[in-house]
Amino acid sequence: MNQEAARQPTYADVNRDVIRTLEPPSPMYFGWMSVVGLILTAGILAWTYQIYMGMGAAGKRTPQMWAMYITSFVFWIGIGHAGTLISAILYLFRARWRTSIFRGAEAMTVFAVMTAGLFPLIHAGRMWFAYWLLPYPNQRYLWPNFRSPLVWDVFAISTYLTISVVFFFVGLLPDIAAIRDASTGWKKKIYGALALGWEGTDRQWRHYRRAYGLFASLATPLVLSVHSVVSWDFAMALVPGWHSTLFAPFFVNGAIFSGFAMVLVLIIPMRYFWNLYPYITDKHLDAMGKLILVTSLVLTYFYVCEAFTAWYSGDHFERASLFWKATKSYAWAFWLQYVCNSLAPLVLFSKRARTHTPTLYVVSILVLIGMWFERFNIIVPGLGHDFYPYTWGIYWPTVTDTTIVIGSFAWFFILFLGFIKVMPSVSIVEVKETLPHPVKEAHH
Amino acid sequence: MNRRDFFKIVGTSAGAVAAAGCGQAPERILPHVIPPDNLVPGVPAWFSTVCRECPAGCGVIARNREGRVVKLEGNPDHPVNGGTLCIRGQAALQGLYNPDRLRGPIQRDTSGERSIKWEEAEKFLAERLADLVKQGRGKRIVVVGQLESGSLGRLMDAWAGALGAERLTYEPFNYEAIRHASRLVFGRDAIPHYALEDANAILSFGADFLETWLSPVQYARAFTRMHAFRDGKAGTFIHVEPRLSLTAANADEWVRNVPGTEGPLALAILKVILDEGIQAPGVDVALLRAAAKSADLEAAARQSGVGSETIKHLARAFAKAKPGLAIGGGVAATGADAVECQVAIHLLNYATGNTGRTVRFGPDSAFGKASPHAGMVALTQAMARGEVEVLLLNHANPLFTLPPKLGFADALKKVPLVVSFSNQPDETTERAHLVLPDTHPLESWGDFSPREGVVGLMQPTMGHVVDSTGRVFDSKAVGDVLLSVGRQVLPAPAGKGPFRWQTFAEYLKDQWRGIAREYSPATPFDQFWEEALRRGGIWKPVGAVPVQARGAPLSGKPATVEGDAQGLALLAYPSHRFYDGRGANIPWLQEAPDTMTQVSWDSWVEVPAETAKKLGLRGGDLVRVASPHGAVELPAYISDSLHPGAVAIPIGQGHTAERLRYAKDRGANPIALLSGQAAPAGLPFLSVKVTLTRTGGRRPLAIAQATHDQDDREIAQHVGLAAARELELRGAVPEKASHPSMYPDLKYPEYRWGMAIDLDACVGCQACVIACKAENNVPVVGKEQVAYGRDMHWLRVERWQEGKPAHPENLFLPMLCQHCGIAPCEPVCPVFAAYHTEEGLNAQIYNRCVGTRYCNNNCPYHVRRFNWWDYSSPTSRSYAFPEPLPLQLNPDVTVRQLGVMEKCTFCVQRIIAAKDAARDEKRPVRDGEIVTACQQTCPTQAIVFGNLKDMSSRVAKLSRSARGYHVLEELGTRPAITYLKKVTREPHKG
Repeated sequence: MNQEAARQPTYADVNRDVIRTLEPPSPMYFGWMSVVGLILTAGILAWTYQIYMGMGAAGKRTPQMWAMYITSFVFWIGIGHAGTLISAILYLFRARWRTSIFRGAEAMTVFAVMTAGLFPLIHAGRMWFAYWLLPYPNQRYLWPNFRSPLVWDVFAISTYLTISVVFFFVGLLPDIAAIRDASTGWKKKIYGALALGWEGTDRQWRHYRRAYGLFASLATPLVLSVHSVVSWDFAMALVPGWHSTLFAPFFVNGAIFSGFAMVLVLIIPMRYFWNLYPYITDKHLDAMGKLILVTSLVLTYFYVCEAFTAWYSGDHFERASLFWKATKSYAWAFWLQYVCNSLAPLVLFSKRARTHTPTLYVVSILVLIGMWFERFNIIVPGLGHDFYPYTWGIYWPTVTDTTIVIGSFAWFFILFLGFIKVMPSVSIVEVKETLPHPVKEAHH
Repeated sequence: MNRRDFFKIVGTSAGAVAAAGCGQAPERILPHVIPPDNLVPGVPAWFSTVCRECPAGCGVIARNREGRVVKLEGNPDHPVNGGTLCIRGQAALQGLYNPDRLRGPIQRDTSGERSIKWEEAEKFLAERLADLVKQGRGKRIVVVGQLESGSLGRLMDAWAGALGAERLTYEPFNYEAIRHASRLVFGRDAIPHYALEDANAILSFGADFLETWLSPVQYARAFTRMHAFRDGKAGTFIHVEPRLSLTAANADEWVRNVPGTEGPLALAILKVILDEGIQAPGVDVALLRAAAKSADLEAAARQSGVGSETIKHLARAFAKAKPGLAIGGGVAATGADAVECQVAIHLLNYATGNTGRTVRFGPDSAFGKASPHAGMVALTQAMARGEVEVLLLNHANPLFTLPPKLGFADALKKVPLVVSFSNQPDETTERAHLVLPDTHPLESWGDFSPREGVVGLMQPTMGHVVDSTGRVFDSKAVGDVLLSVGRQVLPAPAGKGPFRWQTFAEYLKDQWRGIAREYSPATPFDQFWEEALRRGGIWKPVGAVPVQARGAPLSGKPATVEGDAQGLALLAYPSHRFYDGRGANIPWLQEAPDTMTQVSWDSWVEVPAETAKKLGLRGGDLVRVASPHGAVELPAYISDSLHPGAVAIPIGQGHTAERLRYAKDRGANPIALLSGQAAPAGLPFLSVKVTLTRTGGRRPLAIAQATHDQDDREIAQHVGLAAARELELRGAVPEKASHPSMYPDLKYPEYRWGMAIDLDACVGCQACVIACKAENNVPVVGKEQVAYGRDMHWLRVERWQEGKPAHPENLFLPMLCQHCGIAPCEPVCPVFAAYHTEEGLNAQIYNRCVGTRYCNNNCPYHVRRFNWWDYSSPTSRSYAFPEPLPLQLNPDVTVRQLGVMEKCTFCVQRIIAAKDAARDEKRPVRDGEIVTACQQTCPTQAIVFGNLKDMSSRVAKLSRSARGYHVLEELGTRPAITYLKKVTREPHKG
């Protein structure tokens, strides 16, 4: 499938190829949209039912007061990391291969954070009062508890979402202008408004570049901070297997790992359906594969550390918890995590695997499954065998919470599918930058 | 309920109580402590009465708020229970407000059933009775009722006498064997008073005195006094039983015997005492030798499976106690040899000089007045022959409590008129032609004498149960009905004749004139009456009557058990929660777990592990249990400790009556497996062998406790007796510096509330669990939710076991919010719903809670409870308080809504009330002034609450005890609850 990658596209090709993705959709696109839409509807109905009946509709219990919702929350926050990493950090490091994939990755980030943000609401027993977590002035002088990691989450995630959206939008400006120029009628008006009067003047470009660099530098620490804060939801708690200083880097690395996998899961089909082979080349996939491999190895190191500290601490609760996770009711999930996250990515040591799209795709899917279960294993089995033997127990998912979790994937994909049709999913500007100038001789 | 309804209820019920019982009787009822001038909204009035959930006759004071009773507590002055109550006593309220309680009189005939008016019903009954009496066939009228040892019993006797009717007192558990044995040995047809508190060693042959035997609250209190390390005596308790019952689990030494061998064992012990010459001086040795002639130590050891060395050691331990106390009861006392067993036990007491000291004839138990089981057998036969024309049932449910094999159901069909006074739609009442629902004991006049020298007086503790639509239950006291019907049958001029009293209350007062003459001749009657009402009755010490032992022939053979030789002996034992089944429709009791198995809502067959392995049974597998007389199907509970030759099924579940919404179709009734033929010892509950077959079906049990193994976490701790004594001498080790905290130490300006729980005193009776539920409006959630770890109990009693699974050391631990000084739940709450008060409470603000549930994740004890479903709104499917149960709700406590976390508050409403009272008097709260609901009801007073800052308070002293420890101390949570280690006796050698 990679034979076309050989030909170098021209500036005109870029404009045409990218804007082509915005053409009126095919029946197949509508087919996908309706499937995803149906699942999303089911999810919304399930959530409505849960709000009406109570949290009992989800399979939670003592001791698993948290279960699939928080699992999915952490999972989606993790997914939301790769976008900023690719656009901001790789931008600052001038990794030029990022140009054709960062737009998709950034969109993914924004949508993943939007998905993640739903879960604390879905999870709360009285979601209609969730706004109490915000520090807003009120006549009762009530403030949120700034000692609670959940309040830190509110700040970390809202900050991250804001920066991601702004960064995403700033990066889009020149491209929106390009679409504006290529479209007519009411579309031209909408894109015109969104382009904020972009004309491509030198002055604009100069400001644009400076702003972009600044946003990149602002976003970079957030990549590390957001998931560190999310990890403190666990690390700040007493629960055996949670209360660990390892959690922040462990979570950040895991987030990047799963984020890259999700980028691959999204761009491989995109490249196939819109024939974007000239822009998303095997070289890109290869680079992504390498990153997945590296983060997988780091993750494995963390896994070893986690088990080692549980044993070496001599702490009875930690040891019992780990032993139970590995051998009892949830052993399947425990080992699935290692197979998916530590073993499967090892095939990426081979260059052939890194450039063989189906292999890469399968590995990415496995990584996503593995990372979802990693969070599951921390939360559900972790709570299932904590300090107090009286209340140990097994969590069983219900139709309601399963539907809501699956619905969250539909929510994410519906956003992404919609985005593909309204915005350029490959950056026109930055791809052009990487191409040789159309002038005969170069200036410098 | 809106404001208008509220005032309507307050108005009607306050008026009702002030006018004493709403037309029920023109008598004044008097509160226990506070003068009855008026009901002050917001201020409770307390009325004393008697608990009638079993014939133990404990004194009760009922807390009346705005005209409705919201909580029961033990009457602190009452000699039986001394202020405490058992699980069933606490739950009696839900009998009063039971949604299934009959709403009014019912008439049933072939055309169906219909509600009728009281006048109509009484007229109907009176006409039928009058016909019979006129024809001189009064003998064809039979009155069968529960044990009524007071005025109602006397009225019934008089009523039956006047009409020429037969009268039976029917108690399914009537301890006949003790009576027979007393007659044989001491020539006294009575059940003696057992003074457990005076014994240095108790040797119990199956008597489940901490659960149901005779007077469980009284015995639990007495047992603590003789046994608890706290009280200094630290006596020994040895229990012989095939099953590890709750009582057996509290024994220092549990001896597991072959079912039905208690008799030979007791006799063998007697023989050892005689052979070794360690009997008390002055006893008639010749008589004892003659009685023990047939005893054979080796044979007894072989038959019972108890080693001969153990028997010798039991004999020595018992003989040297001086005084000891041997008791027999439970299932073991009902086998074919039960009388022999009780005779041997009487002789054991005689031989060791306990008679007159710990076994006292004189204050005889009221149980001695119950009719023998043979009476019920004879009645059934007479009914079958068509000799009974009118059967009147007063709180008797023979269709549930008699074995079907006896044929009571068929015989009942031959009775043309069956009248039931029950106010619950039970099995027998469902078949009655005329149902005349009695008032609940809490709304009735009456009295009850549990033993000689104690007469508890009952007064209505509230007016009728009313809601916004008016009176809920159109019931009438059975005494009133008897008087009214009696007058119609035998008319007499006003003020004359056998039924001259207009109401039962008048009759009662008249009866009490006699009691006044007996107890307090000098006091004017009106004063005596008022005092008795306030006090809750009258009592005086009764001296023991000297008795002389006589010889009795003993065979020394074990009980014979019929059925398949390969089968297992069936132990059908009274349920600690449902007694004989009368408590089964009370949702609180259904939801409270059985302490030993931690099963709630269902019933089960306890299968020994060996048999389970053979049949390939797992817990929850359905098993068909078949005897020669019947079969039942129950889920299996696999037990490591049960004797391999036995299976055990609790009595109380398996109701079939249509309208018992909580009890219907839960489990099965093991009485169906019995023959029901009268034995010398009454209905033999141990008489059949059963065979088990796996049906292939499954019905998992709702078991709240995941494991009884502490996994070396030292949650419930114990210490040997010698070590405990040494600790006591040395004093507590100064508290180690706890974990460092980033935050400054908390300051408690005035109070820091804390608790001390003595695990050595806790017997695991679960009374505190129900007291807490009643006090704090805790919802009942049902079997599925309990099974899935969503029970709402703020307080739970855990059972932990150590040692060999077949013979474990059991530790009971009441677990509630620990009110930690450094509480893990508090910092994680994003909205300060969980926060620390200045008095050291971990408060939970329900209406601030968003429901993140982070607090419960972080609570290492998992004592926080989340409202998974909408238990509090009447439109919800999960509504936990169907009408009229909401009338029971404590007005001082919020009913929590959907999606919020709740937990133990240390009864903050009681703290506030006491602080208010103290503030009015400008003084600090006194020690002991605040009593939490769990502490209040604890029969063994294992729980002490108070101010930890006051170094002289009881709780502060106990918290400094050398036996004190905190659960999961190593987590640095600094709990406000100190547990005191259980004191275990060193195992005997040999």
